Amino acid sequence: MNDTRTLAGDEVVEQVSALVEGVFERLKPLLAAAESVLADAPAAAALHRIRPQVTEALGGLIIGAGFVSAPNVLTDSEFGFEWWAAGSPPTQLFISLDPASENFLDYTRQSWFTVPRDTGRRHINGPYVDYLCTDEYTLTFTIPVSLGGSFAGVVGADVYVREFERAVRPRLRSLGSGAALLNAQGRVIVSNSVRQPTGSLVREADVPAWWSAGAEPGPGLRRCGDSPIVLTL
Amino acid sequence: MRKGMSHSARSAMFAPLGQVGRAEAVAARLVDAITLGLLADQEQLPSEADLAAQFGVSTVTVREALVALRQQGLVETRRGRSGGSFVRAPAHPPPDAWRARLAEVSLSDLRDVGDHYLAIAGAAAKLAAERSSPEDVARLRLATDDLRTAHGIDFTRAERQFHLEVAAAAQSPRLTHEEVHLQSELGGLLWLPLGSATHACEEHAAITAAISEADGELARKLTEEHLLGALDRLADVHLGLLTP
Repeated sequence: MNDTRTLAGDEVVEQVSALVEGVFERLKPLLAAAESVLADAPAAAALHRIRPQVTEALGGLIIGAGFVSAPNVLTDSEFGFEWWAAGSPPTQLFISLDPASENFLDYTRQSWFTVPRDTGRRHINGPYVDYLCTDEYTLTFTIPVSLGGSFAGVVGADVYVREFERAVRPRLRSLGSGAALLNAQGRVIVSNSVRQPTGSLVREADVPAWWSAGAEPGPGLRRCGDSPIVLTL
Repeated sequence: MRKGMSHSARSAMFAPLGQVGRAEAVAARLVDAITLGLLADQEQLPSEADLAAQFGVSTVTVREALVALRQQGLVETRRGRSGGSFVRAPAHPPPDAWRARLAEVSLSDLRDVGDHYLAIAGAAAKLAAERSSPEDVARLRLATDDLRTAHGIDFTRAERQFHLEVAAAAQSPRLTHEEVHLQSELGGLLWLPLGSATHACEEHAAITAAISEADGELARKLTEEHLLGALDRLADVHLGLLTP
């Protein structure tokens, strides 16, 4: 590949792709730890053993990380949740895991959980209001965890949308006012325009249809590497 | 003459924390949380410092509130390494505890907090209609279904979950915070299971349909009507309780 021509947006595509791969890369030791602990002792009481890998994943853009079990995988609890927020020291997050409690929020409906479960593939959820963990506008990166070949939950990392924006803004700005990064549903993650702000849906281009047709580079839409993030110009 | 503590604690539910005895207000919130089952029996309360930070008051105020709860037998304090304050849920919460509290509410306070809630939930519904993806709508449909056969605390939970999902679908952390805050300020009163679940479920379905069709004005209007219905029922029960 000695082609010296550069397409407008190459740098943004490369940066986003590297950033995404970087986050998933930091989840790999956590994934390995979660799968080995589950294989050894599938119990909520054993989940503390993945803490070193959880706290190791925190830092940089990653402000929260952990493991969330699928229902009825653990022997001692219907649900399992081992999640930590960055800080010095990191703090553990607790949510209600009792379906009878008024505070119970069913996380098995959240896309960061359902997409890896249903596709067997890693996923980036958001931007969305993460009322369960960060309470903030968030991107959540998740990878399916398996136990004996079956889906057993996800490991994941939280990134604040505003920090993601800060990281990509300098290069995105150089592309002019129509440029934006979208998720696979066509929702704006970062844009150069207040008319198409973060969180809004792009309706001019049918991004979901383009995405399910294979996401081939086309007029105005380019996939950022192997990530479910789209650059539109 | 009513006992001073319980009366002010009850009216505290609808007042900003700054305007009444702070310790009484903190105690009232915790009493609500315990009697409504938001805090489970034997559950450990956050530390005094954490509670102080969450309520935005001093640790001295929290300590004072905990003393009141201890006197009412709703909290016990254990010493030692695994010590702390633990919830002691009343064994048989009187089934009409909610109604007793509702009798204390003034209609002017109810109207004011209702106005605030309408502003937040109505705006959230309008934005949700503009910004919801099919994924968001699917989640709203699931939350709508929760209400179909719900009663008692499940009804309350399903109502709260639905409106939380709408605020999240608006893509607004601030509106979501406000929604959560208003739900806790109202202490479960607003979504008391007073009306018909079938009817409430139909209303949620209609709001979800308007959001799905990206009709922001209709979603706002239907949400406001849904809330006004709940407020009307509360006012009716309140007035009924006052009739000698």
